[in-house]
Amino acid sequence: MSVQLFPEATQEQRMMADSAIRIMEATCPLTAVREAAERSGPGDEKLWRKLGDLGCFRLLAAEKHGGGNLSGNGVADAAILAAERGARLQPGPFVAALVVAGALSRAGTTPLHGEVLQALLSGAAVATWAADWLTPATRASGLTLRDEPGHLTVSGEIRGVQDADVCDWILVSTRAGGADRQFLLDRSAAGLSLAKAAGLDITRRYFTLVLNDVRVPAGAVLGDPASNPALASWQLAVAAVLSAAESVGAMDANFTLALAYAKTRVAFGRPIGSFQGLKHLLARASLALEMAKALVAGAAEGLGGDEADALVMASIARAFVSENAVELTHDCFQVFGGIGFTWEHDQHLYMRRLASEAYLFGSPSWHRRRIWEQAVHAETVHAEVADA
Amino acid sequence: MPERLEVEDYRRRARAWLEANLQRRAGPEVSLMEVADKSEDEIAAGRALQRKIYQAGYAGITWPAEYGGQGLPRDYQEAFAEEARDFQLPDLGIAGGTTFGVCAPTMLAHGSPAFLRRHIPAILAGDELVVQFFSDPEAGSDLAGVRTQAVRTGDRWMLNGGKIWSSGAHYADYGLCLARTDWDAPKHKGLTWFLVPVRATGVTVKRIRQINGNAEFCQEFFDDVELTDDHVIGDVNDGWTVAQTMLRFERGGGNRPTSKRDVRELPADLLAMADAAGRLDDPHAQDAIVRAHIDGVACAQLGRRIGALIRANPRLASGLASYGKLAAATFDPIRANLGLDLAGGAIAWQDPDSPVADAARDLLNSRFMAIAGGTTQMQLNSIGERVLGLPREPSFDSGKPFRQVVRDARHWSGKVS
Repeated sequence: MSVQLFPEATQEQRMMADSAIRIMEATCPLTAVREAAERSGPGDEKLWRKLGDLGCFRLLAAEKHGGGNLSGNGVADAAILAAERGARLQPGPFVAALVVAGALSRAGTTPLHGEVLQALLSGAAVATWAADWLTPATRASGLTLRDEPGHLTVSGEIRGVQDADVCDWILVSTRAGGADRQFLLDRSAAGLSLAKAAGLDITRRYFTLVLNDVRVPAGAVLGDPASNPALASWQLAVAAVLSAAESVGAMDANFTLALAYAKTRVAFGRPIGSFQGLKHLLARASLALEMAKALVAGAAEGLGGDEADALVMASIARAFVSENAVELTHDCFQVFGGIGFTWEHDQHLYMRRLASEAYLFGSPSWHRRRIWEQAVHAETVHAEVADA
Repeated sequence: MPERLEVEDYRRRARAWLEANLQRRAGPEVSLMEVADKSEDEIAAGRALQRKIYQAGYAGITWPAEYGGQGLPRDYQEAFAEEARDFQLPDLGIAGGTTFGVCAPTMLAHGSPAFLRRHIPAILAGDELVVQFFSDPEAGSDLAGVRTQAVRTGDRWMLNGGKIWSSGAHYADYGLCLARTDWDAPKHKGLTWFLVPVRATGVTVKRIRQINGNAEFCQEFFDDVELTDDHVIGDVNDGWTVAQTMLRFERGGGNRPTSKRDVRELPADLLAMADAAGRLDDPHAQDAIVRAHIDGVACAQLGRRIGALIRANPRLASGLASYGKLAAATFDPIRANLGLDLAGGAIAWQDPDSPVADAARDLLNSRFMAIAGGTTQMQLNSIGERVLGLPREPSFDSGKPFRQVVRDARHWSGKVS
């Protein structure tokens, strides 16, 4: 079963999605996801390597760096994979890793940037992204940066860093000190430790990154003050669109499960899905699902095609998907009734994933604020407001 | 046959023709619900402009060439629509929308070649406007329950009964009419479509005044209207098949292209409403406007997706088309309520063109899509049963002769025997 993010996907896109689905179902089916969640451990590391062999991590990198996409639009290709991953609640920082690889390809200048990028593209190394301006969790962080000759010394904490324990590299994006700065952290660096955090989504793991006078060599610093805000905005847009694609996949799987239940569960002598009370609830939920898919597809096309309004479109998609994902999983819960409240049933895994991911890369209200700010800066809108 | 131009060459040629022949549009595109009553002169001007476009070869771009269209693929139509976005196109009011968006596509799908040769070129030339004679006063959402009837006598059909909610019938030339032709067959199996000349003897058209003050809808009365087999579309008693096609076009599942907008542009009408109330700096108002904008962008993207899904699964077309209507039915009232709140209510105004007056009008129009062409509840059933494959509601009327259905309903007990 495919999520069908793009009903008119190309042959190459379909083949890659099918291969990825086979890998996920063989290496990391939902039973394995649940097992890893129960023991709060990482997923199977073979999965990452196999996805790397398939070329999944090359999609957002330029060809000259060894990157490559299928359709001419790497974000659209990646969104298809993200949706299929979301449908199977796959573990691992897939979205964050693509963000980091994309950022390194766009702005990397040093030998270390190139080395890390190559390891990420093949799947040999794993990276995650820690931005201290993104979520309430990470915004509660506090970093202090000291510029010293030839390196940077960093202390403090960043909270809510996804899957940090399985990562070799962490890209930190910080506004500590008032300006956008980014640098790569080697997870084995002296003075770096991880504190495991509890979280709503048990299919993923979150950590507080604790830094005590960690030395960041100059070659690990990415970007410069002039280009950093634009780069960070692009990274956010990629994270918003791809995480929304993952959510849409999880919505699709959650909905499919509830729909099947409505067709088979019998009450009052009829399958419960024949009652308009549930039929209409499911039809409305499926409208939200179709709209969510449509928005994510449009946002991915726009971002990969470097369209002028792509950043706003990314926030639109993330905001819509976040709110509707949470609504949809409530609807599914209602269809299941009591069984959805049991630990054994998968409903709570979807609810946990969707409600958590709705805030992972910026909350809906935070994205709406961004939309307003970016929209009112557009000249056309100024003109319209003045005319009105 | 001349060699076909590449799309981009076609686009350039279209742009040049548009610039040389059409006037630039003054205001923004107007939505269906903002169409004011058209005067006879305006309709005549619209027909003349349609003829001009037809003669230049830009009418019916995707329609078959043997019936006066251009026989080109969809991307040519899209290219023309994009280029024409800023120009004044023929405005034939609501009947124009129905003719080109619903009736003619349905005719193309089911009409005989002779029928199509008679009517499609005339439609493209602006000579024939065709509206829907669809709902009966006693059968709206339950469309297959229509009681308007056509009785065959010799080589003639005699039409009696009446229709309602026919948009723009008062200035149309024809109505596509669904009539019962067999009362002893089950309800879906005794229906036939006729193309009824609006000015035929026995047809009376009465305009209906709506809550927004306009009068685009009409009611028709048929008293012994004489028709022939030339007026029949599709097979006799197979009208339900044709109705499915028509409903799909009506629900917006047709291939009308939508122009792409820069999503950084927030809805100007809502900004104006907030501005008029001095609330443009209010963070709650700003958030609400963005929310409405997000829903609007989502609806537009949904339209694109539904088109692609229908191309991939033509069998599900009618159920899928319900999504577009359901989306509008869901979000139009939310947006209207928001507008009312942004404007600080719409209690009183001096200027009929003010944002406050717009908010009032939007509220009155906001439930249109929730009712027209099958209520929201019909769309939800259609999606639930046809797209999602949920079990159907128990049916009490689809198996027995329609004559008996009408009789039994008068003694409805709620008991299922």
